[in-house]
Amino acid sequence: MNRLYPEKLLNIITIDALEEKLVESFRKYGASGYTILRAQGEGSSGVRSDMTGFDANIMIKVIIPPERLTAMLDSLERKINKGHHLTVFIVDVEVLSPEKFNARMR
Amino acid sequence: MPSISNLLLPAVLFFVLGIFTRVIKSDLRFPPDLAKILSIYLLMAIGLHGGNALAKADLFIALNSVMWAFILGFTLPIIGYLILLATRKVGLLDAAAISAHYGSVSAGTFLTAIAYLDNAGIKYEDYPLIMLAIMESPAIVVGLLLAAKARRTIAARKSKAASHGDEKLALTNSDNVDNEEASFTSLLHDAFTNGSVVILLGSMVIGAISLPSGMEKLFPFVDDIFMGVLCLFLFEMGNVAGKRLGDLRQVGIVLALFGIVMPLIGGVLGVYIGLNILDFSVGGATLVAVLAASASYIAVPPAMRLAVPEANPSYYLTLSLGITFPFNVIVGIPLFHKLAQLNAI
Repeated sequence: MNRLYPEKLLNIITIDALEEKLVESFRKYGASGYTILRAQGEGSSGVRSDMTGFDANIMIKVIIPPERLTAMLDSLERKINKGHHLTVFIVDVEVLSPEKFNARMR
Repeated sequence: MPSISNLLLPAVLFFVLGIFTRVIKSDLRFPPDLAKILSIYLLMAIGLHGGNALAKADLFIALNSVMWAFILGFTLPIIGYLILLATRKVGLLDAAAISAHYGSVSAGTFLTAIAYLDNAGIKYEDYPLIMLAIMESPAIVVGLLLAAKARRTIAARKSKAASHGDEKLALTNSDNVDNEEASFTSLLHDAFTNGSVVILLGSMVIGAISLPSGMEKLFPFVDDIFMGVLCLFLFEMGNVAGKRLGDLRQVGIVLALFGIVMPLIGGVLGVYIGLNILDFSVGGATLVAVLAASASYIAVPPAMRLAVPEANPSYYLTLSLGITFPFNVIVGIPLFHKLAQLNAI
């Protein structure tokens, strides 16, 4: 099992209008990459299951080295404090080839 | 009976069918992004068509229409904001976000009005189409300004309440200065480069400068299938509106009434401006009224989610999509037409 290395997987669920801003901050805080999925669901601020395509939710997955995580989370927290609806949670994951996740985005 | 003939338009009937599928809890689901695809087509087709007609237009009337589109776009949200504050049912930021929707326009409602006029054989000017393109954006800007003002008022109230010595407040205030956040200029940029604005204006320019022989080849695409696509679009939007009807209880009767009173105010203003100031025919004035009466549900909601995240989206979505849109499609269009007819005499 020694080929696996611990990393943090950051999950964010939010509106697709925030996508560009978030990608900008992933780059700034040293994420190696990100994956975006279309999402729908429901929460305390109402249903988000708009399939018309005008106003959709996204789920973003980012694997980020633990030492770069705090700054990233601080920036997300500032957005939440401004009133943006972001669902953020962290999962411990194990990855192959850790050098991939240490390299920054181009 | 104009109201009955409007209800018997296939496009409107499909809208009603869309609402009905929700009421009977049918398992009908449209594929993802269908409405977005259809709306790109509709804006393209109406843009090409209108641009082609506007190539022969009078520049003075065109500029005058643009000016009045700006005036309506800037004034309507302020009227809406003041009415909403008077109801005391929503906070300042909710009022700002809702009123931005009412200053902007719904292309779906406008196209239904075109279908209504075409069907009744009523002539109309092409200038309201430029107004449709213009009126998408100013209300977003007014909404942002109202929200900025509301935030200042709320912060002032808070600091008054916190004068007893709550240090946390100072901290959250400094947090607001976050250079990675959207600046006002970038939001302005977004408002005026909005997808629907670009498609509509771009297609109008293409329609205006294209060779007539090239445009002729496009007629099957632009004209022949237009009504069918509009039916399909309204079918899905009826379905979406029907879903929003379920949220009516959360919105409450007073706000629901706002969703009907506000289009009536806009419609009356629109008829007046269309007939008396812009000197349009009854058909043209009906279109201006529909522009002033309609509330956006495509361009403004994402803009408000981004710029006024504190506001509750279920308020503005339910109002514009669940109340005002069906009201305008079913009642408003024939009503404004009747009003224009009465005033034209």
